[in-house]
Amino acid sequence: MTEPILQTTNLTKEFGKLVAVDDVNLEVERGEFRSLIGPNGAGKTTTFNLLTGALRPTNGTVTFNGEDVTGLPPHERVRKGLGRSFQITNIFSGLTVRENVRLSAQAAQHEGFRPTEEFLKRANTFEEVNAHTQRVLDRSGLSGRGEEVADNLAYGDKRRLEIAIVLATDPDMVLLDEPTAGMSAEETRATMDLIDEVLSDRTLLLIEHDIDLVMRVSDHITVLHRGAILAEGTPDEVSEDPEVRRAYFGGVEA
Amino acid sequence: MSVATAVAEQVLNGLVVGMVYVLLAAGLSIIFGVMDVINFAHGELFALGAYFAFAIAGPLGGAGFWVALVVAPLLVGVIGMAIERLTVKRLYGRDPLYHILLTFGLVLIINDLITSVWGKSAQPFPIPAALDQPIALFGFTYSMYNYAIIVIGSVLALGTWLLLSRTQFGMIIRAGSEDREMVRNLGINIDRYYTLTFGFGAALAGVAGIVLGAFQNVSPTMGNAVIIPAFVIVVLGGLGSFRGAVAGGLFVGLVQTLARTYTPFLEGLIVFLLMIVVLVVKPTGLFGTSIGAGEHHDGALLHGAGGGVLSSETRAKLGYAAVGVLVLVPFLAELTGVTYSVTLLEDILIWALFALSLDLVLGYAGLVSLGHTLFYGVGAYASVLTLIHISPSVFVALVVAVIVCAAIAWFVGYLSIRVSGVFFAMITLGFAELFYNAVFKFDFTGGSDGLFGVDVFYGLAGLGIDPSEFEIPLGLFVFDGGIVQYYFLLAVVVGSYLLARRLIRAPFGSVLQAIRESEDRASFIGYDVTAYKRRAFVVSGGLAGLAGGLFAANNGYVAPSFLHWINSGEVIVMTVLGGMGTLYGPMIGAGVFVAAEDILSSYIDQWQLVIGVLFVLFVIFVPRGLVSLPQTVADHPTFGSVVRDQTKVTETEVEQHD
Repeated sequence: MTEPILQTTNLTKEFGKLVAVDDVNLEVERGEFRSLIGPNGAGKTTTFNLLTGALRPTNGTVTFNGEDVTGLPPHERVRKGLGRSFQITNIFSGLTVRENVRLSAQAAQHEGFRPTEEFLKRANTFEEVNAHTQRVLDRSGLSGRGEEVADNLAYGDKRRLEIAIVLATDPDMVLLDEPTAGMSAEETRATMDLIDEVLSDRTLLLIEHDIDLVMRVSDHITVLHRGAILAEGTPDEVSEDPEVRRAYFGGVEA
Repeated sequence: MSVATAVAEQVLNGLVVGMVYVLLAAGLSIIFGVMDVINFAHGELFALGAYFAFAIAGPLGGAGFWVALVVAPLLVGVIGMAIERLTVKRLYGRDPLYHILLTFGLVLIINDLITSVWGKSAQPFPIPAALDQPIALFGFTYSMYNYAIIVIGSVLALGTWLLLSRTQFGMIIRAGSEDREMVRNLGINIDRYYTLTFGFGAALAGVAGIVLGAFQNVSPTMGNAVIIPAFVIVVLGGLGSFRGAVAGGLFVGLVQTLARTYTPFLEGLIVFLLMIVVLVVKPTGLFGTSIGAGEHHDGALLHGAGGGVLSSETRAKLGYAAVGVLVLVPFLAELTGVTYSVTLLEDILIWALFALSLDLVLGYAGLVSLGHTLFYGVGAYASVLTLIHISPSVFVALVVAVIVCAAIAWFVGYLSIRVSGVFFAMITLGFAELFYNAVFKFDFTGGSDGLFGVDVFYGLAGLGIDPSEFEIPLGLFVFDGGIVQYYFLLAVVVGSYLLARRLIRAPFGSVLQAIRESEDRASFIGYDVTAYKRRAFVVSGGLAGLAGGLFAANNGYVAPSFLHWINSGEVIVMTVLGGMGTLYGPMIGAGVFVAAEDILSSYIDQWQLVIGVLFVLFVIFVPRGLVSLPQTVADHPTFGSVVRDQTKVTETEVEQHD
């Protein structure tokens, strides 16, 4: 068995007396589509923030690509290949579509810039960054809209740009935080298709509460309950797990 | 007098001053906690309380003081409510920066009104006769009025606490500061409570003004003198924390008074040192539990939207034309005899550079540096000290100024940029005040006189121009040292603008723009946002230092006023007036501001009032600054059609691609 791309060991986060995440041991295999589900207050968002680096755990470690990233701030995790998308579309709305993607592409390469380049050379004259930008625009179906100001895009295209920005960071793994929250069934399908179209060759971890959606797209599902892992397995295994039925389906679906 | 009674007396004096601070800080803190408004006009409301009482008590005599103590705060409260209704209210939902700007304008207005009604000089405000006598308690005598202040302050503080913790009004206020939308969703008209809160805070400031006015005297500068310590207290105690305001107020009152007596050198410094230490160690302040409501705002920081109507080529042409005119001015001045215009232009150019430096952090990195004059002042001192002690060369002096200021900016940024928003603003203000007070204390900085009579040399190692001896007659025109100075200044300012533009168009600047658009996003595509902000702050500090150095070298002197917080306020005003986030906008803003100030002050006595009113109107109606005016006109339903026919308005300005 190959080494998991993402692994947490005894991951715990306490807020005062509240244990939001309780001793979670999670292993995500390279290339899989994993979903993390659970009822409200199960600790999904806290877990997500521990993985991105927005929060520091009280205890335990996060290992990514065989490296302990527990102490790293968000931007360094991103540079190591752990990308994330936002629940609410979070783009640079005053800049053009191309500039949005270019900034993301530049992030991966700017460490290599000489100081004179970083401070004095025109940002849109770096050939490698521009080529990468163009590839991402093509792949995400935005190549025709590069010069439009992001804020003027239609809602669906904004989601597309959001995903394109993530893709441009060239992540090995993408953390998706309820990417379809607040969407109609049709928008949800379009977004999931888009993720499938653009990010299918990456490892994905989806945080979601929409059970039907999760059942449809995931390879494996991890069910959180009161901060701890309640069950883990394929969609079929999880949906038949009596514990899960009692704790989750019993509460929400019935 | 024994040591014990001397100490006891100092402690009581400290408590008296502390009580005044408690009343001031409580209002300031409640207003901030509930509405996220950083109210710079609080000091002027405080002064207004004192003057109203002065006006009421004077004619009445005898019991007049007590009447005034009730009526004057109510009047100030009503004025506070009017201010909230007419001005502050219009800015809810915008970034707290706009409240700083608005209330800064209000400072100018109220202060000018006070001086035009009651005059510029301080006036005695007698203590009521019944209290104007010493009283012996616990074996030593002390002023009864001072005891009265402590009692009045305690009663009001207790009353405020009860109001906030035990009444429905207080409950709604506290709930509103936690989650304003939630309160609104409960069907409560929170706007009404905002007005009342603002009025209540203003009334508390009014009481503080009265008791301090009678303790010392009433003067138009009394508001200016207390506002900064009051901010320090609010920050020390924890923004929005009433307990913090009380503890902080008493603490600062005591520390200030004891320091004055026992460690005079630290007077004026110790409070700012304490604030900086507390913020670095515990950014939430002593009693603050969260980073304060101010951090959760989603108000938009508005940026200049230049170019909507004017294409970038047009703008470039206008830029060349402006520089061309500036080059010709000395000739025209000589021919027309209006040489004074050159001096005015020099001032404008220096302020334009200062505003440009601020724009890099304010407009691009979204950092509100409330103490930017720190760099301007330190740059001026550094260059004058270099000219006196090291080399008469302006070049050397300016290089030293830039390096020193960049280093200080690095240090301040290192300490403060990880804590964000309001705290960054306060730490920068704290450092600026620390340096402002420090230059009075040392001989090498010339104390309160500053340093003057500096000779400058435009060259290196003896090769160059000595402006005092330089003169080339060219027919009608004499090319003298003053003109050399002017052209040098012009070249440095234009060069700095070009450098700043280059930085903004480079990868470095593109990341700053990304941070401005969405800080979270910039971080989650892999940028170290804190590092970028620090670098921007270093560049900005260096450029501000250059501005200060240029002024000092040009005028041959430096004084503590270079470090006064009013400069920090004015440069923010210029930046927003012109249109932040555009580089050229703030420079235009500086030109308009300095010229308006110059022209108005030579024709009208109440010029501050006029500037204040214009500024308040501007913040409310043209928040994107002067550079947005063409677009605003084009968007106007009636005027717009004319402009639209003539120009393409579709081009949207993005620095990167023009």
